[in-house]
Amino acid sequence: MRATISYRLLRRVSQFLFLLLFLCLFRLTDYSGSDDIPYAVNIFFRWNPLVAASIMLAAKEFIGLLFPSIIIIAVTIVFGRVFCGWLCPLGTLLDWANPLIKPPKKSAFRIPQIKYVLLFVILSASLFDLQLVGYFDPFSILVRGLTFSVDPGLNYMVTWFFDSIYFHGPAWLSAVSEPVYSWLKTTLLPYKQTFFLLSLLSFVILVSIFILEKLGRRFWCRNLCPLGALLALFSRWSFLRKFPVKSCPDCRKCAEDCRMDAFENNGFLMNEECNLCMDCIYDCPNSVSAFKFMLPRNKTPMRLDRRIFMESSLAAITLPVLSKVNASHRIPLPYLLRPPGARGEKEFLSMCVRCGECMKVCIQNALQPTFMESGYEGMFSPRLIPRIGYCEFNCNLCGQVCPTGAIRNLNLAEKQKFVIGRAYFKKNRCLPFAENTPCIVCEEHCPTFDKAIKFEEVLKTDGKGNSVKLKQPYIINDLCIGCGICEKVCPLDGESAIRVRGKTLMVS
Amino acid sequence: MDRRTFLKQVSLWSAGILATPPVFRITPELLASEPGKSKVIVGKGKDYEKLISDVLVPLGGISLFVKKGSRVVVKPNIAWDRRPEQAATTHPLVVKALVQMALDAGASEVMIFDRPCNEERRCYKNSGIEQEMEVFKDPRVKCVHIDKRKFVPVRIDNGKSIKEWEFYRDALEADCYINVPIAKHHGLSRLTLGLKNVMGVIGGRRGKLHKNIGQNLADLNTVIRPQLTVIDATRILLKNGPKGGNLEDVEVKDSVIASIDPVAADAYATTLFGLMPEDIESTRAAYQMGLGEMNLSKIDVISV
Repeated sequence: MRATISYRLLRRVSQFLFLLLFLCLFRLTDYSGSDDIPYAVNIFFRWNPLVAASIMLAAKEFIGLLFPSIIIIAVTIVFGRVFCGWLCPLGTLLDWANPLIKPPKKSAFRIPQIKYVLLFVILSASLFDLQLVGYFDPFSILVRGLTFSVDPGLNYMVTWFFDSIYFHGPAWLSAVSEPVYSWLKTTLLPYKQTFFLLSLLSFVILVSIFILEKLGRRFWCRNLCPLGALLALFSRWSFLRKFPVKSCPDCRKCAEDCRMDAFENNGFLMNEECNLCMDCIYDCPNSVSAFKFMLPRNKTPMRLDRRIFMESSLAAITLPVLSKVNASHRIPLPYLLRPPGARGEKEFLSMCVRCGECMKVCIQNALQPTFMESGYEGMFSPRLIPRIGYCEFNCNLCGQVCPTGAIRNLNLAEKQKFVIGRAYFKKNRCLPFAENTPCIVCEEHCPTFDKAIKFEEVLKTDGKGNSVKLKQPYIINDLCIGCGICEKVCPLDGESAIRVRGKTLMVS
Repeated sequence: MDRRTFLKQVSLWSAGILATPPVFRITPELLASEPGKSKVIVGKGKDYEKLISDVLVPLGGISLFVKKGSRVVVKPNIAWDRRPEQAATTHPLVVKALVQMALDAGASEVMIFDRPCNEERRCYKNSGIEQEMEVFKDPRVKCVHIDKRKFVPVRIDNGKSIKEWEFYRDALEADCYINVPIAKHHGLSRLTLGLKNVMGVIGGRRGKLHKNIGQNLADLNTVIRPQLTVIDATRILLKNGPKGGNLEDVEVKDSVIASIDPVAADAYATTLFGLMPEDIESTRAAYQMGLGEMNLSKIDVISV
């Protein structure tokens, strides 16, 4: 029975629209001329049930921000894994990359149970306060890859191209290229060039998912994606199902072509693996395939058994233990500054998805991904590096976009009082102390209404033996919020003579 | 070298044809202050737009500065992410009035820009200046952010302290450059007025200039020579400058100061703060270099 409207076309339109939505929200994750971001730019994380499950397990509390994930679960219970087939931007990109990557028709390498293992490892570790979801959550991988590498990389190339024409090309060519460039800058390109630590690593992780397609279509989705695994648990008993449930023994085309490798060797469809791409309806030579609402009855076992569940959950307990005995957490980290509004270090690390949204939105490019400084589980969590960029006094965007509340959404007045750290002078380098030379650029920039950096006038002798009046700066500790603008603007080459120290971060 | 040759060199250099940076040698004749007494016009009133046109009358009116077809730069202070009432940036209505007058005088283009210390989009927005410029809905009004590519190195032959620095091309190439600073407190230099406002049209690491701020500013002002300086003292910042923030540090003065002589304008503005012209290093240094007059007794102060 052929449908009158093509569900396959509908699926493709849906994939396109959701990818477009995703990219638009990505671009809109920026200062927009208003103090508040008017769109839910973080919605892809907030309706993500894997994020909801792992973060709430770790936080041991209900987090209202993650409520939209209920919608995805409800949709999955009714329609199955349409999320994977119709909505997921990473899945769409993988489908679109097919003509380029040319995955093999028949996948020889199958490890579908691994996704369940990853899922239970993540959830079990969360229960013991160790947050690993950021390593495997598809949106985190995608947004980080885009934020840290793809977006700045593309912008760099485009800018280089137009700058080359601007500086070295003939005038008539610039006259053409410059309007194009300004148009691009107001539309597709980011407002300004950003720079990120770990750009290579996050790129490699993202690209690996595409390279894995060489082993089979949707290799990541079938075998590795823990979000897919979680949705599979719900879609096992979903109502919209393929009919007939078994591929015809004399044909088996649907089974062989299935991008999700969702058919058992005996020809039965594993409903929980199907992402409802609808290809089998239209590619069926006998036109017998269809999708119908049916009572959920399964003829196949899941690629998950009690052993996988028990073993992976129990094995995962070793990870929190190993994290506890990791000496990284015994080293004070005075220069590891967390974003304004961040919860206490332990809670922060267990609630942060490593989604990169805060780093994407930071208007001074100040928030950067952490590497191994706070243990392997802290990787990709945000830190403020003032010498790269400072925390803008009137800005609280990072708290606005954080999908879990790991960075609390403080209002501006609260944020302006939030202490990220405190600045201190290195007087053996600071010009008015070390070289009897005027400076106090730090004092000029200090943003608190009553400046946290003040100065006293002293009489000193300069190099020529003349007596000079000098202004020597000092800190009022209670006024300093650690925004880091002083560290950023200190005119000394190399290391700043004023530095912000955080609260000494030790997890346990 | 005259201005025309210099500008040609700047263009060639920007196009990558010249290998060495252009040189702008100011001749002693040019440096010497205008013949006759420097005039400073002080206006007081609540209607800022009217105030601006009033103070220009004794100077000869806007048409003396802006000719038909002139490319005009109006350079306010938009350095900080602060609102107009916080008195850290030039009042948007003061900027608006000057832009309007330049347009009326037949300017072909009026550019408004600054290189802020805080995030530029936030500064342009919260200073209120961007919004006022959008009201014009006139393609000749260009309130745009700094384009880093337009900074060109300039040799400062007359500089006593700095010999070369990067300047913004649009500021160098303008037919008429109107400097519109706000008068406010500054930790290091005590006050920031007209001469210090040049910081917004230069590139490089500006913090390095603080070592010898007075002379450095005077040196930079040998290159950027505003045809007109209008100091916004509609409200002034008395403490915690130049960034301010606290409304208690602000005093409403409802005044503007206009002069052709940038040093004289700064010299008079110090009196609003109960200081003397010689208290400000940059004023002193610029006076000593012959960039203008700072002795209040030798300045004609005209109130309107």
